[in-house]
Amino acid sequence: MHGEYKMPGGKLVVIDLAVRDGRLADVQLSGDFFLEPDSALDTINRALEGHPEHADEAALAASVRHALSADVMMYGLSPEAIAVAVRRALHREAEA
Amino acid sequence: MMRTDWRDHDWQLIHTAPQSPTLHMALDDVLTHEVGAGRRAPTLRIWEWASPAVVIGRFQSLRNEVDSEAARRHGIEVVRRVSGGGAMFIEPGNTITYSIYAPQSLVKGLSFQEAYAFFDAWVLQALGELGIKAWYQPLNDITSEGGKIAGAAQVHRGGAVLHHVTMAYDIDAAKMLDVLRIGREKLSDKGTVSAAKRVDPLRSQTGLPREAVIERMVATFRRLHGLSDGSLRADELVQAEALGHTKFSSPAWIGDVA
Repeated sequence: MHGEYKMPGGKLVVIDLAVRDGRLADVQLSGDFFLEPDSALDTINRALEGHPEHADEAALAASVRHALSADVMMYGLSPEAIAVAVRRALHREAEA
Repeated sequence: MMRTDWRDHDWQLIHTAPQSPTLHMALDDVLTHEVGAGRRAPTLRIWEWASPAVVIGRFQSLRNEVDSEAARRHGIEVVRRVSGGGAMFIEPGNTITYSIYAPQSLVKGLSFQEAYAFFDAWVLQALGELGIKAWYQPLNDITSEGGKIAGAAQVHRGGAVLHHVTMAYDIDAAKMLDVLRIGREKLSDKGTVSAAKRVDPLRSQTGLPREAVIERMVATFRRLHGLSDGSLRADELVQAEALGHTKFSSPAWIGDVA
Protein backbone atom coordinates (compact mmCIF):
# COMPACT_ATOMS: atom_id res chain seq x y z
CA MET A 1 0.00 0.00 0.00
CA HIS A 2 1.25 3.42 -0.96
CA GLY A 3 0.42 6.94 0.22
CA GLU A 4 1.83 10.34 -0.76
CA TYR A 5 1.44 13.74 0.84
CA LYS A 6 2.96 17.02 -0.30
CA MET A 7 3.43 18.81 3.00
CA PRO A 8 2.26 22.43 2.59
CA GLY A 9 5.41 24.56 2.56
CA GLY A 10 7.41 21.33 2.77
CA LYS A 11 8.44 18.37 0.67
CA LEU A 12 6.90 15.17 -0.66
CA VAL A 13 6.33 12.56 2.03
CA VAL A 14 5.77 8.98 0.84
CA ILE A 15 4.80 5.88 2.80
CA ASP A 16 4.82 2.30 1.55
CA LEU A 17 3.52 -0.32 3.94
CA ALA A 18 1.64 -3.58 4.39
CA VAL A 19 -0.98 -4.59 6.95
CA ARG A 20 -0.59 -7.92 8.74
CA ASP A 21 -3.03 -9.11 11.41
CA GLY A 22 -4.53 -5.63 11.52
CA ARG A 23 -1.19 -3.95 12.18
CA LEU A 24 1.24 -1.83 10.12
CA ALA A 25 4.18 -3.82 8.76
CA ASP A 26 7.15 -3.24 6.42
CA VAL A 27 6.74 0.52 6.83
CA GLN A 28 9.01 2.51 4.53
CA LEU A 29 9.16 6.30 4.61
CA SER A 30 10.67 8.02 1.58
CA GLY A 31 10.60 11.37 -0.21
CA ASP A 32 12.57 14.48 -1.15
CA PHE A 33 12.71 15.90 2.38
CA PHE A 34 15.80 16.64 4.49
CA LEU A 35 16.49 14.60 7.61
CA GLU A 36 19.62 14.39 9.74
CA PRO A 37 21.19 12.21 10.86
CA ASP A 38 20.12 9.87 8.06
CA SER A 39 19.75 6.98 10.54
CA ALA A 40 16.57 8.73 11.76
CA LEU A 41 14.80 7.27 8.71
CA ASP A 42 14.99 3.76 10.21
CA THR A 43 13.98 5.08 13.61
CA ILE A 44 10.81 6.54 12.10
CA ASN A 45 10.02 3.35 10.16
CA ARG A 46 10.38 1.30 13.34
CA ALA A 47 8.22 3.72 15.34
CA LEU A 48 5.34 3.20 12.91
CA GLU A 49 5.70 -0.57 12.74
CA GLY A 50 3.01 -2.49 14.66
CA HIS A 51 0.48 0.32 15.03
CA PRO A 52 -3.13 -0.82 14.64
CA GLU A 53 -4.36 -0.14 11.11
CA HIS A 54 -7.05 2.17 12.53
CA ALA A 55 -4.61 4.33 14.53
CA ASP A 56 -5.43 7.99 14.03
CA GLU A 57 -3.09 10.72 12.79
CA ALA A 58 -2.49 12.12 16.26
CA ALA A 59 -1.35 8.75 17.63
CA LEU A 60 0.91 8.09 14.64
CA ALA A 61 2.49 11.55 14.80
CA ALA A 62 3.02 11.26 18.56
CA SER A 63 4.87 7.97 18.30
CA VAL A 64 7.14 9.34 15.56
CA ARG A 65 7.91 12.40 17.68
CA HIS A 66 8.66 10.35 20.79
CA ALA A 67 10.99 8.01 18.91
CA LEU A 68 13.23 10.83 17.69
CA SER A 69 15.95 12.34 19.85
CA ALA A 70 16.17 16.11 20.24
CA ASP A 71 19.12 16.46 17.85
CA VAL A 72 17.23 15.13 14.81
CA MET A 73 16.78 17.84 12.16
CA MET A 74 13.80 17.85 9.82
CA TYR A 75 13.36 20.26 6.93
CA GLY A 76 10.30 19.90 4.72
CA LEU A 77 9.11 17.01 6.89
CA SER A 78 7.21 16.67 10.18
CA PRO A 79 5.69 13.89 12.31
CA GLU A 80 2.23 15.21 11.32
CA ALA A 81 3.02 15.01 7.60
CA ILE A 82 4.30 11.46 8.02
CA ALA A 83 1.06 10.55 9.81
CA VAL A 84 -1.02 11.98 6.93
CA ALA A 85 0.96 9.91 4.41
CA VAL A 86 0.40 6.77 6.52
CA ARG A 87 -3.37 7.41 6.67
CA ARG A 88 -3.43 8.00 2.91
CA ALA A 89 -1.64 4.69 2.30
CA LEU A 90 -4.19 2.91 4.46
CA HIS A 91 -7.17 4.66 2.86
CA ARG A 92 -6.09 4.19 -0.71
CA GLU A 93 -8.59 1.45 -1.44
CA ALA A 94 -11.44 3.35 0.19
CA GLU A 95 -10.63 6.39 -1.99
CA ALA A 96 -10.46 4.47 -5.24
CA MET B 1 31.69 28.95 17.99
CA MET B 2 31.55 32.48 16.58
CA ARG B 3 29.62 33.27 13.42
CA THR B 4 32.08 33.79 10.55
CA ASP B 5 31.76 35.68 7.29
CA TRP B 6 32.69 34.55 3.76
CA ARG B 7 35.74 36.82 3.86
CA ASP B 8 37.01 35.20 7.05
CA HIS B 9 37.88 32.12 4.97
CA ASP B 10 40.45 31.36 2.28
CA TRP B 11 38.11 29.94 -0.39
CA GLN B 12 39.54 27.41 -2.81
CA LEU B 13 38.20 26.54 -6.26
CA ILE B 14 38.23 22.99 -7.60
CA HIS B 15 37.23 22.60 -11.24
CA THR B 16 38.70 19.46 -12.81
CA ALA B 17 38.24 17.30 -15.89
CA PRO B 18 34.97 15.31 -16.11
CA GLN B 19 34.49 12.64 -13.46
CA SER B 20 32.07 9.72 -13.08
CA PRO B 21 28.77 10.17 -11.24
CA THR B 22 29.91 7.73 -8.53
CA LEU B 23 33.14 9.64 -7.96
CA HIS B 24 31.19 12.90 -7.64
CA MET B 25 29.04 11.35 -4.88
CA ALA B 26 32.16 10.17 -3.06
CA LEU B 27 34.02 13.49 -3.47
CA ASP B 28 31.16 15.32 -1.75
CA ASP B 29 31.44 12.93 1.18
CA VAL B 30 35.26 13.14 1.43
CA LEU B 31 35.62 16.90 0.94
CA THR B 32 32.92 17.69 3.52
CA HIS B 33 34.86 15.58 6.03
CA GLU B 34 38.15 17.25 5.10
CA VAL B 35 36.73 20.74 5.67
CA GLY B 36 35.06 19.61 8.90
CA ALA B 37 38.35 18.18 10.15
CA GLY B 38 40.20 21.38 9.25
CA ARG B 39 42.48 19.64 6.75
CA ARG B 40 41.06 21.59 3.80
CA ALA B 41 40.16 25.25 3.43
CA PRO B 42 36.52 26.00 2.58
CA THR B 43 36.01 25.07 -1.05
CA LEU B 44 33.82 25.71 -4.08
CA ARG B 45 33.81 22.72 -6.44
CA ILE B 46 32.38 22.97 -9.96
CA TRP B 47 31.41 19.55 -11.30
CA GLU B 48 32.04 18.25 -14.81
CA TRP B 49 30.14 15.10 -15.69
CA ALA B 50 31.80 12.26 -17.62
CA SER B 51 28.51 10.44 -18.28
CA PRO B 52 24.75 10.82 -17.86
CA ALA B 53 23.14 10.08 -14.52
CA VAL B 54 20.05 10.25 -12.41
CA VAL B 55 21.03 11.44 -8.94
CA ILE B 56 18.39 10.59 -6.36
CA GLY B 57 18.13 12.14 -2.91
CA ARG B 58 19.25 10.29 0.23
CA PHE B 59 15.66 9.39 1.22
CA GLN B 60 14.03 8.81 -2.15
CA SER B 61 12.68 5.43 -3.09
CA LEU B 62 14.63 4.06 -6.05
CA ARG B 63 11.57 2.21 -7.34
CA ASN B 64 9.18 5.14 -6.90
CA GLU B 65 11.49 7.73 -8.48
CA VAL B 66 13.26 5.98 -11.34
CA ASP B 67 12.13 3.85 -14.26
CA SER B 68 15.20 1.61 -14.13
CA GLU B 69 14.39 -0.07 -17.43
CA ALA B 70 14.20 3.32 -19.21
CA ALA B 71 17.44 4.41 -17.51
CA ARG B 72 19.19 1.29 -18.79
CA ARG B 73 17.79 1.82 -22.29
CA HIS B 74 19.18 5.36 -22.37
CA GLY B 75 22.52 4.32 -20.81
CA ILE B 76 21.92 6.41 -17.70
CA GLU B 77 23.55 5.46 -14.41
CA VAL B 78 21.50 5.84 -11.23
CA VAL B 79 23.34 7.07 -8.12
CA ARG B 80 22.25 8.14 -4.65
CA ARG B 81 23.75 11.21 -2.99
CA VAL B 82 24.42 11.90 0.69
CA SER B 83 21.90 14.75 0.95
CA GLY B 84 18.13 14.82 0.90
CA GLY B 85 16.06 16.51 -1.78
CA GLY B 86 14.77 15.39 -5.14
CA ALA B 87 15.98 13.46 -8.17
CA MET B 88 18.10 15.18 -10.80
CA PHE B 89 18.46 14.20 -14.41
CA ILE B 90 21.99 14.87 -15.63
CA GLU B 91 23.49 14.80 -19.10
CA PRO B 92 27.04 16.14 -19.57
CA GLY B 93 26.82 19.72 -20.76
CA ASN B 94 23.18 20.06 -19.70
CA THR B 95 23.63 21.06 -16.09
CA ILE B 96 25.84 23.27 -13.98
CA THR B 97 26.49 21.56 -10.66
CA TYR B 98 28.54 22.93 -7.79
CA SER B 99 29.29 22.11 -4.17
CA ILE B 100 30.23 24.45 -1.37
CA TYR B 101 32.09 22.87 1.56
CA ALA B 102 31.94 25.34 4.43
CA PRO B 103 32.53 25.44 8.16
CA GLN B 104 29.24 25.44 10.07
CA SER B 105 30.27 28.75 11.63
CA LEU B 106 29.36 30.45 8.32
CA VAL B 107 25.65 29.79 8.90
CA LYS B 108 25.61 29.72 12.68
CA GLY B 109 22.33 31.03 14.05
CA LEU B 110 20.57 30.94 10.68
CA SER B 111 17.39 28.94 10.14
CA PHE B 112 17.53 26.23 7.45
CA GLN B 113 15.57 28.51 5.14
CA GLU B 114 18.00 31.38 5.69
CA ALA B 115 21.02 29.11 5.27
CA TYR B 116 19.86 27.85 1.86
CA ALA B 117 19.35 31.38 0.58
CA PHE B 118 22.62 32.53 2.17
CA PHE B 119 24.73 29.94 0.33
CA ASP B 120 23.31 30.89 -3.07
CA ALA B 121 23.11 34.70 -2.79
CA TRP B 122 26.24 34.98 -4.98
CA VAL B 123 24.54 32.85 -7.66
CA LEU B 124 21.48 35.11 -7.73
CA GLN B 125 23.86 38.02 -8.20
CA ALA B 126 25.75 36.23 -11.01
CA LEU B 127 22.45 35.41 -12.71
CA GLY B 128 21.42 39.05 -12.38
CA GLU B 129 24.66 40.07 -14.10
CA LEU B 130 23.64 37.73 -16.93
CA GLY B 131 20.28 39.47 -17.20
CA ILE B 132 18.23 36.83 -15.38
CA LYS B 133 15.97 37.97 -12.58
CA ALA B 134 16.15 35.01 -10.23
CA TRP B 135 15.20 34.54 -6.60
CA TYR B 136 15.19 31.94 -3.87
CA GLN B 137 12.01 29.93 -3.54
CA PRO B 138 11.92 28.10 -0.21
CA LEU B 139 12.62 25.52 0.70
CA ASN B 140 15.45 24.82 -1.72
CA ASP B 141 14.86 26.15 -5.25
CA ILE B 142 16.30 28.95 -7.35
CA THR B 143 13.57 30.13 -9.67
CA SER B 144 12.80 32.83 -12.22
CA GLU B 145 9.80 34.25 -14.04
CA GLY B 146 10.24 31.53 -16.67
CA GLY B 147 10.35 28.69 -14.14
CA LYS B 148 12.67 26.77 -11.89
CA ILE B 149 16.40 27.08 -12.59
CA ALA B 150 18.03 25.05 -9.83
CA GLY B 151 17.59 22.89 -6.75
CA ALA B 152 19.83 22.85 -3.68
CA ALA B 153 20.50 20.40 -0.86
CA GLN B 154 22.49 20.58 2.36
CA VAL B 155 23.97 18.07 4.75
CA HIS B 156 25.87 18.70 7.99
CA ARG B 157 28.86 16.63 9.06
CA GLY B 158 31.19 17.16 11.99
CA GLY B 159 31.66 20.91 11.89
CA ALA B 160 31.12 21.29 8.16
CA VAL B 161 28.13 21.88 5.94
CA LEU B 162 27.84 20.72 2.35
CA HIS B 163 25.62 22.85 0.15
CA HIS B 164 25.30 21.56 -3.40
CA VAL B 165 23.20 22.75 -6.29
CA THR B 166 22.28 21.51 -9.73
CA MET B 167 21.20 24.15 -12.25
CA ALA B 168 19.48 23.28 -15.52
CA TYR B 169 21.50 24.63 -18.45
CA ASP B 170 19.72 22.70 -21.16
CA ILE B 171 17.30 19.82 -20.85
CA ASP B 172 15.93 16.92 -22.85
CA ALA B 173 12.56 17.04 -21.13
CA ALA B 174 11.15 14.05 -23.00
CA LYS B 175 14.06 11.84 -21.94
CA MET B 176 13.88 13.16 -18.37
CA LEU B 177 10.19 12.30 -18.09
CA ASP B 178 10.90 8.88 -19.59
CA VAL B 179 13.40 8.09 -16.81
CA LEU B 180 12.01 9.95 -13.77
CA ARG B 181 8.64 9.14 -12.31
CA ILE B 182 7.25 12.54 -11.34
CA GLY B 183 4.01 12.03 -9.47
CA ARG B 184 0.96 14.21 -9.51
CA GLU B 185 1.05 14.74 -5.73
CA LYS B 186 4.48 16.35 -6.03
CA LEU B 187 3.09 18.95 -8.43
CA SER B 188 -0.07 19.58 -6.42
CA ASP B 189 1.01 22.91 -4.93
CA LYS B 190 3.22 24.08 -7.78
CA GLY B 191 0.34 25.38 -9.87
CA THR B 192 1.43 23.63 -13.04
CA VAL B 193 0.30 20.43 -14.68
CA SER B 194 3.28 19.69 -16.86
CA ALA B 195 6.48 18.66 -15.14
CA ALA B 196 8.50 19.65 -18.20
CA LYS B 197 7.19 23.20 -17.93
CA ARG B 198 8.46 23.54 -14.37
CA VAL B 199 12.06 23.97 -15.50
CA ASP B 200 13.35 26.89 -17.55
CA PRO B 201 16.99 26.25 -18.39
CA LEU B 202 19.82 28.78 -18.48
CA ARG B 203 20.63 28.21 -22.13
CA SER B 204 17.37 29.64 -23.39
CA GLN B 205 17.45 32.42 -20.80
CA THR B 206 21.02 33.62 -21.44
CA GLY B 207 21.82 32.53 -25.00
CA LEU B 208 25.35 31.93 -23.68
CA PRO B 209 27.53 28.81 -23.83
CA ARG B 210 27.58 26.81 -20.60
CA GLU B 211 31.28 27.64 -20.08
CA ALA B 212 30.50 31.36 -20.20
CA VAL B 213 27.82 31.00 -17.52
CA ILE B 214 30.28 29.09 -15.29
CA GLU B 215 32.96 31.72 -15.92
CA ARG B 216 30.57 34.46 -14.82
CA MET B 217 29.58 32.52 -11.70
CA VAL B 218 33.20 31.91 -10.69
CA ALA B 219 34.08 35.56 -11.31
CA THR B 220 31.17 36.71 -9.14
CA PHE B 221 32.11 34.35 -6.30
CA ARG B 222 35.73 35.54 -6.54
CA ARG B 223 34.74 39.20 -6.45
CA LEU B 224 32.29 38.85 -3.55
CA HIS B 225 33.95 36.27 -1.34
CA GLY B 226 37.54 35.82 -2.56
CA LEU B 227 38.61 32.61 -4.32
CA SER B 228 41.99 31.01 -5.06
CA ASP B 229 42.51 28.34 -7.69
CA GLY B 230 43.05 25.09 -5.85
CA SER B 231 43.07 21.39 -6.65
CA LEU B 232 42.13 18.03 -5.26
CA ARG B 233 44.86 16.48 -3.15
CA ALA B 234 46.06 13.04 -4.26
CA ASP B 235 45.02 11.50 -0.93
CA GLU B 236 41.53 13.01 -1.24
CA LEU B 237 41.14 11.48 -4.70
CA VAL B 238 42.39 8.07 -3.51
CA GLN B 239 39.94 8.17 -0.60
CA ALA B 240 37.05 9.18 -2.87
CA GLU B 241 37.84 6.48 -5.42
CA ALA B 242 37.89 3.87 -2.65
CA LEU B 243 34.54 5.13 -1.27
CA GLY B 244 33.14 5.11 -4.79
CA HIS B 245 33.99 1.43 -5.12
CA THR B 246 32.98 0.25 -1.67
CA LYS B 247 29.93 2.41 -0.98
CA PHE B 248 28.54 4.68 -3.66
CA SER B 249 28.46 2.12 -6.50
CA SER B 250 27.06 -0.65 -4.29
CA PRO B 251 23.49 -1.88 -4.78
CA ALA B 252 23.09 -1.69 -0.98
CA TRP B 253 23.63 2.09 -1.04
CA ILE B 254 21.82 2.86 -4.30
CA GLY B 255 18.84 0.73 -3.23
CA ASP B 256 19.06 1.71 0.44
CA VAL B 257 15.52 3.08 0.20
CA ALA B 258 14.07 0.53 -2.20
